[in-house]
Formats: sequence, structure tokens, C-alpha cells
Amino acid sequence: MKLVKSIVRPHKVDDVRDALEKLSIAGMTVTDVRGHGRQKGHTAVYRGKEYSVSLLPKVEIEVVVPDNVVEDVIEAIMAAARTGEIGDGRVFVLPVEQSYNIRTGAKETS
Amino acid sequence: MAGQTDGIQLKESAAAQLATARAAYVKEAGRGRAGTETARRYADQMDGVVQAVVEAACGCTDLPVAVCAVGGYGRRALCLHSDVDLLIVFDGTIDEREEAFVKGVLQPLWDLRLELGQHVREFADFAEPDLSNPEFLLSLLDLRYLAGSLPLYGRIALSAAGSHARASLDPLLTLVSERHARFNDTLYQLEPDIKQAPGGLRDISVIRHLHMLAPAAFKDAGDAGHGRIAGAEDFLLRIRSVLHVLGGRDVNLLTHDLQEKVADTLGCSGAHPHHRVESLMGEYFLRARAVTRALASAQRAVRPRTGSAVRRIGRQFEITEDGVQFAQPNRASQQPSLWVEAFRIALEHQCPVAESALSCIEQNVHRCGADDFVATEGDRLQLRRLFTPRAGLYERLSEMHDCGLLNRIFPEFAKVHCRVVRDFYHKYTVDEHTLLTIRNVESLLDPAAANRRRFGSILQELHAPELLTLALLFHDVGKWREADHAQESVRLTQSALDRLELPDDERATIEFLIREHLQMSQVAFRRDAEDPQVASRFAELVGNEEHLKLLCLLTFADVGAVSPETLTPWKEELLWRVYVDTYNRLTLGYADHLLEGDPAGLSVLIAGRPADISEHELVAFLEGLPRRYLTTFGLGAVYRHVRLARDIKPNQIHTFLENHDDVWELTLVTLDKPYLFSNVSGVLSYFGMDIHRGQAMTTPDGLVLDVFEFSDEEGFLKQNVAATTEISRMLEQVVAGSVDVSSLLKGRERSLLNRRRVRRPPVVHFDNEHSRKYTVLEIVADDAPGLLHRITRVLSAEGCDLHLALIATEGKSAIDVLHVTRAGRKLTETEQDSLERELKQVLEAGE
Repeated sequence: MKLVKSIVRPHKVDDVRDALEKLSIAGMTVTDVRGHGRQKGHTAVYRGKEYSVSLLPKVEIEVVVPDNVVEDVIEAIMAAARTGEIGDGRVFVLPVEQSYNIRTGAKETS
Repeated sequence: MAGQTDGIQLKESAAAQLATARAAYVKEAGRGRAGTETARRYADQMDGVVQAVVEAACGCTDLPVAVCAVGGYGRRALCLHSDVDLLIVFDGTIDEREEAFVKGVLQPLWDLRLELGQHVREFADFAEPDLSNPEFLLSLLDLRYLAGSLPLYGRIALSAAGSHARASLDPLLTLVSERHARFNDTLYQLEPDIKQAPGGLRDISVIRHLHMLAPAAFKDAGDAGHGRIAGAEDFLLRIRSVLHVLGGRDVNLLTHDLQEKVADTLGCSGAHPHHRVESLMGEYFLRARAVTRALASAQRAVRPRTGSAVRRIGRQFEITEDGVQFAQPNRASQQPSLWVEAFRIALEHQCPVAESALSCIEQNVHRCGADDFVATEGDRLQLRRLFTPRAGLYERLSEMHDCGLLNRIFPEFAKVHCRVVRDFYHKYTVDEHTLLTIRNVESLLDPAAANRRRFGSILQELHAPELLTLALLFHDVGKWREADHAQESVRLTQSALDRLELPDDERATIEFLIREHLQMSQVAFRRDAEDPQVASRFAELVGNEEHLKLLCLLTFADVGAVSPETLTPWKEELLWRVYVDTYNRLTLGYADHLLEGDPAGLSVLIAGRPADISEHELVAFLEGLPRRYLTTFGLGAVYRHVRLARDIKPNQIHTFLENHDDVWELTLVTLDKPYLFSNVSGVLSYFGMDIHRGQAMTTPDGLVLDVFEFSDEEGFLKQNVAATTEISRMLEQVVAGSVDVSSLLKGRERSLLNRRRVRRPPVVHFDNEHSRKYTVLEIVADDAPGLLHRITRVLSAEGCDLHLALIATEGKSAIDVLHVTRAGRKLTETEQDSLERELKQVLEAGE
């Protein structure tokens, strides 16, 4: 199993979710986050005053998926979240050692 | 061996006793009848179990010991899975034998799987109230003897009723306020905690405790409210009993899932499950509201009286420690306009409307219709002004709502009274969500809300902030049925707007806000707000910065009222960015979008033109004006401008001056020439006018249209019959070049500028990005008489042409956005530097 963690633009969440649903990925965790990558924010001007916007709003989507669909999931997320502009986000893939269902107590296997 | 047998027998007998008690309780709960009486019976049966256990353990200790019931068990309000709160007190030092006694009591009860809340004390502990443990202190208020030494119990009861009780009042009030804050201080929860939420069982016990702790405060209160509270308690206990049986544990949250089952068990009326749930929740809110009102009244009663004198407000009102009261209740009961007036006075004096006045209104409100509150111009104005955002507005509107007045004044709002709309996000009923949006707006005025100062500053800038509150009041009334609620809300609001007789432009603003109230959150949270097309479409939708500010605040208030967790700092940031980007588009980037590119807008203008204006004249006038012109001015104003522009010749000026309440508006049309804007604004300053906002537009043909909004600070217009003629004449002379404004203003400016105290460094910012043709100059500076004149004089002196101007004031700051060129092109960096130096010199020196 792998934990696929993607950081995407806020307005792309629905697209990513739809893409994952098409792959029958049932569960996901969505969190509002702020951060910056190479983009490193920018400056904005309001009423003549410049202020720096160093941490940009993003959304983190986490899904745990079986090894055999990891590539499809990554591809689906990238296609759904891409605009081609700087700031589209990142996808990270991490190994998952064990997984349990809290209600049933059952250990899940991929 | 005998002891073991006794122990087993005890356990078996206690288990059987408890099982019988539980079975009886479950049976009643299943019939929806396990209210107050069942809870008492169950508590009594529990007493038997505890007493048997205590008796069996008595041999373990030689010290006198008393076992008491406290908390909910003490007041015999015991539900199936409630905690069984016990107090065990020894008259001496607790040693091994006493510990064995405690174990002997608790172990069998634990074995029965009871949830115990046990307190073990030595009597010496009661010498002083334990202020570090307020919950324990309060639980003693429900102290009840169960078993053991009666004399010892008597001494404990004496302490509990004496110094401990006296020390309980403040912690009790603090705990109530902390608990209510956890529920956002509202009872209208879609999934209420029937024990802890405002209006729940806990509040009922607090009311009784307050009566117990300060009986003198209630000596004149009578017994009228007791029946209502007892009824509410019975109802809530019946719900709780079903929750406990269904959940198999101490469940108090009436979730959506459980509401249907509870409604069926309690026999709520309705053919469809949804109707039965509405019936259940309707009764719940009614009961909970009665509890919160009784609690508020009890809280006021126990507050130390300040002894302040009764203040008389006119002939009809007085302000006492309880709030605004009717001086002649009989007369007031017949006069609906006095009811609204009472709330206005309460807001003005920052106090509540007294319970007696609320009851008077509540008893008589059914005799009035919506028209009774808007019978005269004064009534309409008073009603409108009531909605001006300020401290206490939510509280007063809630009082109006609770006593039925708000629904009578606006029957459109009554459509969503206690309306439950289930979704994943909303936590409150539609009417309460609406009132909470108004509380969110009000919170922006709180100086403590520093983290939201940026939104607060927008609120301060609003031209007519009551339009925002009125729009909020109606924005969700369309939710009375399942459909596109925004459109339905606009439809329903029409009758309310008819009654208020608002001017057309204000009416259109409210309709716009209601119709589009979901758009800004869509753009901010669901769309790519950085996509130029999305941003540009949104800017077009809002049209002007006043609409933008209103919609931004409405969105802020609306999202924040969904639940306390919905408007996160993350979402606030997204919303703010859309606001800033759109604001910049509307103020900096509007110049390139000309009216020619808006055929739909043009055709409306042409179709609606009066007979005296030809299509050719209209089109010629509009040529070169930005599209913003149409979003800022209504049709009537546009046609007036066309007429003003007729036959205008060089060195001539055509003016139109009118006033709305305390604000004057000067519209002028002339042909462009150097120093024109500076001279015109200088004339207004010369006559003591304080310019609040304004717009200046110049067409490529040199036709200038300026509109200034100002207040008559020194009363020149009010005090002089010929003032308007004099201003017009002076403008004509200045435009003709026969009068020099700068010399006229010199003496006046010097004396006024010396009076200025607060000085913040001015902001001068150039933008060559937003517009293709112009350099956009933004200036934010301390407002001062003649400021606009001085700024624009510098521009002219630096050889700049002013094409478009937006003038605004925010509190004591002037915010000017000026579109300029020099020799027909944007300003170079060198020219910008030079202009900035000159401007700062003027702004910082004041001259």
C-alpha cells in the first residue's frame, strides 16, 4: 500500500476527487493547508500598499491505495490538478506499513 | 464464606432490582413518556440499589459516614445512562478501613455497569468552599440524603446551604457563559445537545439553582414561568430517554439520524417523516427558547443591583436596570411604532429591552400586520435605521424574533422560522443562521477583532451599511422550499422592499446582493480566482466597488454563520484575495473597458431614453466613457447627464446640485482644460464642503463629467437661501478663468490644516500594469480640507492630464485613484519619481 499525498490548488479539489472516484478510490482525507513551493508567494497591492503573500492557500489530498493502482492514481491526480502554471502543486508517494479499520479492528491488506 | 455468599446475594439482588427499574424505564421511553416522573421513579429505584450496597458495606468503618446523591441524581432527574453522582463523607480522617468502605460501596455499583461520579471527602473538607472545583461546588446544590449517618448529613447540608452555596453564584454564572460559548451562544442548533446546549436540561437546573441561591431576587416574580420550565424539562427528558435507549449509553446529541426515531417515538404529528421531524424540532426550539428566556431573566435578577436611577426617555419609555420599558404599558400595547422605537432606544443606549416590554409586545403582536409598522415615512426610516450595524444588533434582533415582532414586521422572514435544512455544513436553523450573519457583521466593529480588521475596514467604508444587514435578513428566505433559493429569496423580498419604499438604486443593491449571494464564495473557494476570465467575469458581475464591498462582507458573514468552524483563516485569505483582485480591477483596470463593448447595456439605454433625447445624442455622449459608467449610474442619472452636456462650450460649465438627507451631490459637465479638476474641487472646499466621494470621467473628445458627493460641514447650503446659485456662479467664474481658486483657498487651508492632529505617512503608488493607456496613481492620505484640490493641482503642475478619478474616504483617510497621462502616454519611472516627490511634499507638509 502507498500513501499518495497531493498538494493542489483549492479550486482543483473537485476535479481531483472526481478523477479518483473514476478509479474507484473510495476514501480520502482533504485538508486546507497553506504553504509555498518554488512559487514562494508573490506581492499584492491594496490601496497603494504592497504586501507579500508568502504562504499560499492549497489543499492537501491524501489517499491510501494498493500498490498496483499507484501509477494510475498519480496520473489521474496530475491530469486533474494541472493548469500548466507555476503553483500547480506536488504529489508525494509514501509507503504504508500497516492499516487498520478502527470500527471493526480488522487489519487491512492490499 | 458467609461474607462471600452475602456478597453474591447482594449483587444478585441489586442486579435484579436495577434490571426491573431499567425495564420499566425502557418501557416508558419506548412510549415516549419517560419524562420527569419516570426520571424521578428511576432515581428512587436507584436509591434502593445504592442503599442496599451501603448497608452491606457499613461494617467496614467505625467512623460516621453519610452517602448522598448530588448533581442530576441528587435532583432526581436520572435517565437510563446518566452518571450516578455520589458523595461519600466521613466524619474523621480517611484511613484503610474507610477506603475499604468506599471500595465496598463502589465495587458492586461498578459491577452493575453503572457510570459513577463519586466524590469522597472528610467532613473537615467542608470548612471552606473548594473554589478550585466549581463543578463540585455546584453539584452540592442538589445534595440529597441516601444512607448513613443522618446527623452528619445534616451538618453537610448546613455547610452546602451556607458558605458553599454563597460561593457558588459566580462560578455558576461563569460556567453557564463558558458552556454557551461552546455552542456559539445560540439554541437554534440543527443537531442540538439537549443537555448542554443553550435552552437544554443543564440550563433548567441553572434556573432552579439561581432561584435557590438568591430567593430574594425572585420574591416578586410569581410562579407563572415555573409551569413552562417544568413542561420544557419533561419534554427534554422524554427526548433524552429515547436517545439513551437507542444509543445504549449517555447520548444527548439529537442528530439528524436520531431525530426521525425520536419524532416517531414521541408521536409527533405529520404524514411524512420529514414533517414529523419538523414538528419535533419546532417544539424543541419553542421549549428551549422558553428556557433561555427564563435563564436570561434569572441571570438579570441575581445580578447585583447598581441602584441607578430610572432614566426617562421621552414620555413613552424608561430605562431601568432590566432595560428599556414602556412608561405606559397599556398605551404601548396599542401602538406598534412604539415597539420598534423601544428596540431603537435599546440599541442607542446599549441595553436590552426589558422582559416586561417583550411580554407586552408578545401578547399584542398578533393583532398587527406588516403594514402597521410602515404607516408613515418616519416609521419606514426608523425601521431602516434599526438595521444599521452596531454593537447589540444581533441581541436586539433576536429579542424581536423571540417575541414574534420580527416575523410580524417581515412576514417574508417568518417563512423560514425554525426552518431545518439538512446538509453537511449548516449547524443552525435558517432563521438563526440569518441572525448569526448579522452578528458576524456586528463583530467586525469590535476593536478586539484585530485579526479581521481588514474586513472591518470595508464595513466602515460602506455608504449605507444597513443595506447589507437588510440583504442578509432576506438572503435565505427562499429556503422555505426546495428550489433555487437565491432567486426565490429575491422574489419573496419584493413585498418587504415595497413596504420600506427604498429608493430604486438601494432596492436594486439589495436585490443584487440576495440574488448573487453565493457567487463570491463560488469564485473564492471553488473556482480558479487567478484565471483572468473568472476574475474578469466576477468583476463585471459586481460592477462597482460599493457592490463588491457589500458582497464581500455578505459572503464573510454568510460563510461564518454556517458553523463556527466553516470560515477558517484559510478561507478568509481566499476571500480577501478575490476582494483585492476585484477591487483593483474595478478601480485600476476599468479604463480600458469602454461602453462601446457593452451592446446590451447600450441597447437598454437607447430603448429607455426619454423623448427629448435622440439616439444620436445619447450615443455621442457615451462615446469614450468606460463601462463602469453604466454600473455606477442609473438610467435617470445618465439621461440627466446627457441633458447637462447639451450645447456645452469651452469655458462653460453646466451643473446640477441636489441633496439626499445630509449628503449633497454635485454633477457637472464641462470641457477639459488644465487645472480643471483641481479648481472645481477647490471651489467646494472654499465653501466648506467635505468631499466624501466622487468620480471624474473624461472622453477622448474632452468632455468632462464630474460627480461629487459631499457634506455641508459648515452649514453654508443650509443657512443661505442663495447658496446653490452662489456655488454655481463661482464654478462658472473659475472655469472661465476669472477667479483664481488657489488664492481664495490659501487663508482657509492654513487655518484648517493647523488643526490637524493625527498624521499618518501618505501612500503614493503608481501602477502601469492595470491599464493599457493610463498610469494609475493611488493615493491614501489623511483627509483634510482642500486635499483633493492640492493633489490635483500638483498633477497639473507636473504636466499630467487627469482622465478618470475615483475619490473615496474611509474614516479619516482619503483614498484617491487617478488615471493620468503625460503628453498622451503613461508616465515613465523618472516622471513617477518626480511626481511622487512633489505629491509627498504637499501631503506631508499640508501645503
